[in-house]
Amino acid sequence: MNLPRMAWRNVFRNARRSAVTISAMTVALAALLVLSGLIRGLYLGMERDLVELELGDVQVHAPGYRNRPSIYERLEAPDSIIAPLEAAGFRVSSRLRGSGLAAGAKESAGAQLIGLDPARDATVSDIGTKVAEGRWLEVSDARGVVIGRKLAKSLHVGVGDTLLLLSTAADGSMANELYTVRGVLGPVGDGLDRSAVFLVQQTLRELLELPEGVHQLIVRRPPTVPLLDAKAAVVAAAPGQDVNTWKELMPTVAQLLQSTEGSMMLMFLVVYLAVGIVVLNAMLMAVFERIREFGVLKAVGVKPRTVVALVFLEGAAQTAIAVGLGLLLAVPALLYLSTTGIDVGSMSAASLGGATFSQHWVAVLDRQTFTGPIGALAFVVSVAIGYPALKAARLDPLEAIHHR
Amino acid sequence: MSDSAQPIVSLRDVTRTYAQGKTEVLALRGVSLEIFPGELTVLSGPSGSGKTTALNLIGALDRPTSGSVRVDGHELATLSRGELSELRRDRIGFVFQAYNLVPILTAYENAEVVMALQGIDAKARRARVMGLLAQVGLEGLEDRRPDEMSGGQQQRVAIARALAAKPAIVLADEPTANVDSETAEALLNLMEQLNRELKVTFLFSTHDPRVMARARRLIRMVDGRIVEDKVQG
Repeated sequence: MNLPRMAWRNVFRNARRSAVTISAMTVALAALLVLSGLIRGLYLGMERDLVELELGDVQVHAPGYRNRPSIYERLEAPDSIIAPLEAAGFRVSSRLRGSGLAAGAKESAGAQLIGLDPARDATVSDIGTKVAEGRWLEVSDARGVVIGRKLAKSLHVGVGDTLLLLSTAADGSMANELYTVRGVLGPVGDGLDRSAVFLVQQTLRELLELPEGVHQLIVRRPPTVPLLDAKAAVVAAAPGQDVNTWKELMPTVAQLLQSTEGSMMLMFLVVYLAVGIVVLNAMLMAVFERIREFGVLKAVGVKPRTVVALVFLEGAAQTAIAVGLGLLLAVPALLYLSTTGIDVGSMSAASLGGATFSQHWVAVLDRQTFTGPIGALAFVVSVAIGYPALKAARLDPLEAIHHR
Repeated sequence: MSDSAQPIVSLRDVTRTYAQGKTEVLALRGVSLEIFPGELTVLSGPSGSGKTTALNLIGALDRPTSGSVRVDGHELATLSRGELSELRRDRIGFVFQAYNLVPILTAYENAEVVMALQGIDAKARRARVMGLLAQVGLEGLEDRRPDEMSGGQQQRVAIARALAAKPAIVLADEPTANVDSETAEALLNLMEQLNRELKVTFLFSTHDPRVMARARRLIRMVDGRIVEDKVQG
């Protein structure tokens, strides 16, 4: 007795019932595959933006700087940290940071001043590509600054306008200078949107009267190095300094992203509950219709476990067909959504735990996009088939043979 | 009956009671009998006489309330469910009144079911099953499904299925009840021929006089008791 062949034929025994069951599975699977790709795309996009635009993989600060940022808490010899890391394939950029007041013609607001080397910073961050109006910093344009979009809005300044920056210099004197807005950023992150003023590092160094040292190193790891290994390498290169991964710097967002898989699995199970009921009903009908047949099989020596295997194989055959059809429906949609994507211009203003949603929402098309929905479907179908299969296996052959 | 051979089936003082609502029905009352290799025996009697109950006990499909049932040397009361399954698979062939073929399997596949369960390789199965199908007169019909065959043809497939695993005994419960008289005659001829030529041991339960007339040994039952056990000419 070839069990898979028997199971396959049984699937087509009541073609209409099997069609309904397979259709329910197919539609649910296709919908969840597309949803899985989109949600993973949303969250992975957030993670990518956080790492590539703002935080990097790992950051280095002087001890105590993060708890109480001060221009005096600096990494005094950044080159001694950067050199061994770059030799190991890491990319590193230093930033000088300060706080102060930014003022336009009529309005003023608190600002975080960020000084960077545009060329070196481009190796660790894509922030320079997120200029919505105007252009990014250029070393040759020492007085040019780029500001966050919400800051620009609150100060009523735009490209070409003059911006006054006020701060306290390292020597305690009042630091103030006029600059020209060269660019306004698009949405990158709530904190930066509201208060960031990017300057060429040397310009900020002069404003704050800081002859040496930096406040922050942003480190990007080689693609093959896991995050925690990267942190260990940075700790080794920067002994005694405060080294943190991006997940430690933004724990709320990291936890949110980490819980994505679990939340999606819960969503799959809820949607599949309806499918499970359809499958349970169909398989129970299939078993009840064949009580006498199961009785005969058991009478001639088929063991209960073989009966269970037969019912499970019938469910597996239907699931396999549904998976094939579901993929046929979902993959073209996912291909479209992973390349063309969805423009969510208005939604991109929203932020979650300090991270903003990308303006261009694209689906992710990788192994995990498929394993979650397909795995959850297989699990739900297995649970739904369990009862009918056991029912068939426990039939008393004598009673079953005489069943009418 | 033989004095020297060991019986294939041996029932000793077997009783079987069933609960029917609040009352207890005594289906078998102290039945003892032996079936020997090569016999063609008929259990006859009116409805409710206990012949089907006896057949079910011998077929390891049921357990006695008291007494002993031995089949092919095995005391059935001592066997587990799995061992009973194996005994049915390896040593007992069944022919049911309603044929009871698996509708999605072809004649060939239905006939080979038991051999496949035994793990016999495909080549050996094919040789045996094709031979049996030819023997029961179904040559050329092996690819037909039950719904493409007549009742008589389906019962022939059932006989081939029962014989495929070379059982010690074939139990046939009212094998001619669902077919016309011409087909019944042909089926009886076939089973008689198999008994004569292959020494297949048959035990029928029936109240069909045509079957009773073909029996070498006729056991008559009334109200759960054997009232007559005779060898016919």
